[in-house]
Amino acid sequence: MDIAGEVVSVLDEVLSLNGRAKDFSLDTPLLGALPELDSMAVVALITGLEERFGFCVDDDEIDGSVFGSLASLVDFVTHKLSS
Amino acid sequence: MALEAFFLPANPGQRFALLHWPDSACEPSGAVVYVPPFAEELNKSRRMAALQAQAMADAGYAVLQIDLLGCGDSSGDFVDASWEAWLADVQLACAWVQQRTSTPLWLWGHRTGCLLANEAANRMHCPVDLLFWQPVLVGKQYLQQFLRLRLAAELAGGDSRGVMEALRQQLRQGQPVEIAGYMLSATLADGLERAELLLPHRSGRVEWIEISSRADASLSPAGVARLTQWQAAGQEVRSTVVNGPAFWQTSEISECNALLQASLLAMQRVPAA
Repeated sequence: MDIAGEVVSVLDEVLSLNGRAKDFSLDTPLLGALPELDSMAVVALITGLEERFGFCVDDDEIDGSVFGSLASLVDFVTHKLSS
Repeated sequence: MALEAFFLPANPGQRFALLHWPDSACEPSGAVVYVPPFAEELNKSRRMAALQAQAMADAGYAVLQIDLLGCGDSSGDFVDASWEAWLADVQLACAWVQQRTSTPLWLWGHRTGCLLANEAANRMHCPVDLLFWQPVLVGKQYLQQFLRLRLAAELAGGDSRGVMEALRQQLRQGQPVEIAGYMLSATLADGLERAELLLPHRSGRVEWIEISSRADASLSPAGVARLTQWQAAGQEVRSTVVNGPAFWQTSEISECNALLQASLLAMQRVPAA
């Protein structure tokens, strides 16, 4: 599975980026850098990832560092899928 | 189509309501009461609700939209709202529209509005058809997502540990918590947490519509499980999946035209004998 591609597609949809997320690279900063990523979008993003990948995120796994960049978000999803 | 805005006397205070009435001189082909979603989802979906209400009225349905207690232009603040008060508001809206017309009644719910619509239908002494938009199945899960808005807001500050437990603790002690600008009372949190989309007791049919951004999407696994269970229990229920944005939560206000069409088609289907 192309995890990075799937994460980008969820990001693009939840944040209404109209395809802009496709230009993101792994070191693109997210939380605090992307104005669209407000608190409602963070929660929608978590729910979107849970639904797309079929895992369940616990409250204590939600940490600012997860949403720091595309790379950290992809790492988080990869870790969830392998655990 | 005639549009009328008015206040419906309620207890406590009054509720803001919008009535869309079809142009035709004949009796409407059905009466519809819209049951809105929760907090910010309500604001984000106002445009779609208005478009759908207009489309329904153009197709011959009388549609009543109501702002529940503590929402929109109705009496009270959000912190005054409770699940029971909202159920009473839905029943009030149904009783009002049924005084105007004796055509069959539809309850049209969106997200947590489906939980309210379903429970209100169970409490009414007449058959009700149900139209569901992206129904929330388990109130407890929805409450967790809502509380997470506060957690998400704290993420940027870096100090998010223990936020969720602190919120739950406050609610357990009967104190309200502030989430994304909404003051959520312990009573409302409790009612939402207990709500679940259970088999309708007394209803007519259920038209269940999910919205997905993927063109090839099928019904969600949780939706399939619930529908299979209902069908096995003899409930008439049909599902549709339409392609479009999750307009109740997208950053920009968005529209889903496929949903407008699919809802009308679903309502106009001839019920199974």
